Amino acid sequence: MTILMSESPPVLEKDLEPLRPWSKRPASFWLAAFLGSVVPLAILGALYLTTDLAVALLLIAFYLPMQLIGAGLAGYFAKGKHGIADSAIIVFAIGATALSAIILGSMLLTIIVRGIAAFRPSFIIQNSTYISPSTPLEYGGIGHAILGTFLIVGIATIISVPFGIATAVYVTEVRGRAVPYVRFFVQAMSGVPSVVAGLFVLTVFILTGVLNTSAMAAAIAYAILMLPTIARTAEEVLRLVPEELRTGALALGSTRARVVLNVVVPAARTGIITAILLGIARVVGETAPLLLTALKNDQTVLNPFTDPISALPTFIFDNVAQPYPDAVTRAWGAALALLIIVGVLFTITRFISARKPRR
Amino acid sequence: MEETVVAMEEMGVDVVAAERESQTIEMSAKGVSVWFGKRKILENVNMDFPKKTVTALIGPSGCGKSTFIRTLNRLHELIPGAALAGEILYEGQDIYRQDVDPVHIRLAIGMVFQKPNPFPSMTIRGNVLSGLKLSGMKRPDHDALVEQTLTSAGLWKEVKDRLNAPAGDLSGGQQQRLVIARALAVNPHVLLMDEPCSALDPASTLRIEETIRELSKDITIIIVTHNMQQAVRVSDYTAFFLAEENQPGYVVEQGLTTEIFGNPRDQRTLDYVNGRFG
Repeated sequence: MTILMSESPPVLEKDLEPLRPWSKRPASFWLAAFLGSVVPLAILGALYLTTDLAVALLLIAFYLPMQLIGAGLAGYFAKGKHGIADSAIIVFAIGATALSAIILGSMLLTIIVRGIAAFRPSFIIQNSTYISPSTPLEYGGIGHAILGTFLIVGIATIISVPFGIATAVYVTEVRGRAVPYVRFFVQAMSGVPSVVAGLFVLTVFILTGVLNTSAMAAAIAYAILMLPTIARTAEEVLRLVPEELRTGALALGSTRARVVLNVVVPAARTGIITAILLGIARVVGETAPLLLTALKNDQTVLNPFTDPISALPTFIFDNVAQPYPDAVTRAWGAALALLIIVGVLFTITRFISARKPRR
Repeated sequence: MEETVVAMEEMGVDVVAAERESQTIEMSAKGVSVWFGKRKILENVNMDFPKKTVTALIGPSGCGKSTFIRTLNRLHELIPGAALAGEILYEGQDIYRQDVDPVHIRLAIGMVFQKPNPFPSMTIRGNVLSGLKLSGMKRPDHDALVEQTLTSAGLWKEVKDRLNAPAGDLSGGQQQRLVIARALAVNPHVLLMDEPCSALDPASTLRIEETIRELSKDITIIIVTHNMQQAVRVSDYTAFFLAEENQPGYVVEQGLTTEIFGNPRDQRTLDYVNGRFG
């Protein structure tokens, strides 16, 4: 009986090259794609040169629709009827993404370009004592406002994270009878305007004399705004933890509390960190509550209970409306600092949450 | 005491046999019926599980085998709308008595599920020891315990050099053996297995069957399986469940595995074990 299998793989006459046969397209496709992309661009150029219309208007009102039509026609000629929708959807997705990237990018660029003028070591470190809006940029800084933002957001995080996660645990783990009402309430709370949160703290805590106008008061207002975001996001991520893990833990003789603390929450750790981050991102730029609860202060304040305090949003708010170019530049600098802080925070937490499980 | 024995003997009760039975029976179900909401799932199940034996529960899908096995360690009650009648005796005591803490029951009666469910936030070693952490149980010498349970589960050789790797790095078959090791680490007297091999390849299945045979020297095992050959290979006793459409499931026949497969009394059992339906 012969053995059908050869003992070594067959030798090829020449080495094969990796190919992508699915990306081969007929010449008519490339012609259509070329025309579909170049013609709208040419019309855009012509319109720009001959009319006074704003570039943004030209892009949105003329270029994008023309691109869509061009892509649709190109798809039709290359692939027939079903090519129209294919090409149009792809072009629309790319166009819309590019548009939002341009808007966000130009904003970012403006902040960087205008803010960098204020940036120098002293600007980050010093406070604004004895600084008037007309003082040159060499003097004074936003150190006190950076500290203020850290202090207020930090206290707000310490207050809102336990409550937010506890609410999420109640909804997904305890599953008590009040779950629908709690969920409805949290949902409704996420629509509270930030100024209302500030007013609430003002009337309940400050006007009654419980708290001074201070970082603590501002932190409570921030915490009210953070709570629904953290609770809802944490609820979503706890819901994603497979039910098998809970029953698995219970089958090992675990109490409900340990299921939550040792299994469910660690399994959702990345998501919970994201929830906290989203909560911080929700408030870090909020200005209105600070105007009612923290006011402003040119000096560095470390005690969260005693004095009014400046934070980056209120510093920006104060300076941007001044009729002095240096004050406006300081505002841009503070905006840049706020952006950098948020960016660093997001990077650090991403890094932490990507870690492997511990021993 | 003497009088009672004499009285019972007069009534024709085999006292010696009853005595022997109470020593060798680990768990038993007495007249167990189960509901989800208004729907009755199981009707009057009576079954004994002798110590250090393997009992296979077989039957077509939806006949209540998994539901039944979950009543044995009080996981059933976690499902909203669950209800139960009858008694589950463990060491002679009803596990559903008011003063029984389900946590203790689940600690003594471990469970392995259909889908491997290692804790993703823990390492391999952490998973093996997780039962101790979760139940607050103290056992000395964790290193030896990890080695011993992983060896029993047939996984030690494959993972001994990477005990601190995340459990999620293991293959499905390895994960299932890991959760078996995890269940063993809390030293259960009974191990419930709900289709433990249904998601595994033949090689892993064989490993787990070897593990089951090995474990049955020390503990009582109750296994739900859809694989008839598996029931023959691993079990001493078999119970055949069946449910007519929209009717609660019930036990058609139970007894020694060799009897159920070799010489069943009921025609439906014969048809099922020969693969003619289900």
